[in-house]
Amino acid sequence: MPIHDQGYRRYSGGKAPRGYGWAVITRAGIRTLVAKRAFLGLLLLAWFPFFVRAVQIYAAANLPQAAFLAPTPSTFRDFLGQQDIFAFFITVYVGAGLIANDRRANALQIYLSKPLTRAEYVFGKLAILMTFLLLVTWVPAILLLIVQIAFAGNFTFFQNNAYLFPAITVFTFLDVTMVATAMLALSSLSKSSRYVGILYAAVIFFTQAVYGVLFAVTRSTSFSWVSFPANLTQVGDVIFRLPLKYSTPWPVSLLMILGLIAVSGLVLERRVRGVEVVA
Amino acid sequence: MTEPATRRATPSVFVSAMRIFDLSLGQMLWSRRSVFLGLLLGGPVLLAIALRVVSVLYTSGFRINGAQAAGASVFGMMIWLLYIRFIVPVLGVFYGTALIADEVDDKTITYLFTRPIPRRAVLFGKFLAYLVCTVLLVLPSVMLVFFLIVPIGGSSIGEAFPSLLADLAMLAIGLAAYGAVFALVGTRLKRPLIVGLVFAFGWEPAVLLFPGYLKRLTVAYYLQALVRHEMPQDSAVSMLLQVFREVPSVLTSLVGLAVIVGVTLWLAGRAVEQREFVLDQ
Repeated sequence: MPIHDQGYRRYSGGKAPRGYGWAVITRAGIRTLVAKRAFLGLLLLAWFPFFVRAVQIYAAANLPQAAFLAPTPSTFRDFLGQQDIFAFFITVYVGAGLIANDRRANALQIYLSKPLTRAEYVFGKLAILMTFLLLVTWVPAILLLIVQIAFAGNFTFFQNNAYLFPAITVFTFLDVTMVATAMLALSSLSKSSRYVGILYAAVIFFTQAVYGVLFAVTRSTSFSWVSFPANLTQVGDVIFRLPLKYSTPWPVSLLMILGLIAVSGLVLERRVRGVEVVA
Repeated sequence: MTEPATRRATPSVFVSAMRIFDLSLGQMLWSRRSVFLGLLLGGPVLLAIALRVVSVLYTSGFRINGAQAAGASVFGMMIWLLYIRFIVPVLGVFYGTALIADEVDDKTITYLFTRPIPRRAVLFGKFLAYLVCTVLLVLPSVMLVFFLIVPIGGSSIGEAFPSLLADLAMLAIGLAAYGAVFALVGTRLKRPLIVGLVFAFGWEPAVLLFPGYLKRLTVAYYLQALVRHEMPQDSAVSMLLQVFREVPSVLTSLVGLAVIVGVTLWLAGRAVEQREFVLDQ
């Protein structure tokens, strides 16, 4: 096709206001993942426990013989605990390649040459992972609460346990933030998403295995701070006002979680950079 | 008149696999991946050093249910919790799924497939290299842990040594079995890592809790029967595992693991022969 005019033409499209660049990355990332059938299958599988719990709540509300299945605050805590394994697989599926694939394709320079700051880039990527993680943790847990009200036909349980809504929200956001920032930091360390996935599995399962050895040797749960899943469990029990599972003081567990988030932020700050021009 | 050029016979699968093995072993041993492997295997050694230092500083030693823990039983726990349940499956997933996938990612598979060797020899050679590489790195780690931990609490190294040899053999067999399973996953599926992790950390631990035949569809069922140490009770899941534990005989386990290695490697070889690998542009 011949080029008739090589003149300059001003951009006539709309301009996104500054500070919203991350939303473009997030939208594109979510759209890409939702188009994958395997991923949709994984999401559907992650919602299976929700349906089981919904049936449990229905039976408890409507069948006198099943009254022993009546939900308690710990039902919601247990439900979130069950979702951990699905959250792990979704984290690896979604998160491993988030930055690693961009680094592999040298796309980071292209991203950062646009009117997009590093913070917006990181936040956009983080939002992709957090969206899907909240979709299998916070959303079903809140829906369970609504299902309970709907099946019981009254607000008694909700009013008696008014702290449940904020507890679910605070715990899931802490959990998801820790997991997402750790995975994103690992993703920025390598160009291979497979390598990142294994590194993440190592962080989660190896710390758990080391705690297992320390517990088996000492028969004391005071070393639970070495395991990140155990730290989340401990803080989760505090938030849900349940008896603590480990003898580690919960502020120590919380400090470990916040420490991991801070270290991940530091890694991201150092690794997500455009081309360094050396004079 | 010029003489016709003599036709060179295509090397056999074994000879070709050995050439690929030769090439891959060097690459595997001196790669960044081995650094990760070193870090992973350094963890148990560091933990063993820490436990040894604590046992020296506190002469009362470690106590389990009020009784002083013997070093041999602590070593057994470490074999169970760190090596069998974590390191061996993770190394299998990590290396097994990458045997062919790495060459595809790096777009170097073409160079191997255009050589006059059977395609499956590439997989077999790489599998052998994986096995030698991981065994060479895992076994020293286990031995260091053994010599650091066993003397704690007055256990005798001499008495426990035969069990160390059994552990080393069991870990080598485990690496072979997991590696072969994940090599098959890596050659057949587009996203092998997720499937590998689901198998190692989702399917296997879950199915071992169910009574019945399902557990026979795991590697762990056969591998755990070869472990001579007592299963630790570090969690409610471990206690359940012990309740539902059905231990096959050593012979059954060895045959089961040999079948797993043989069948999965054969299927992986077939997949490499038949599959068209599309390289990203």
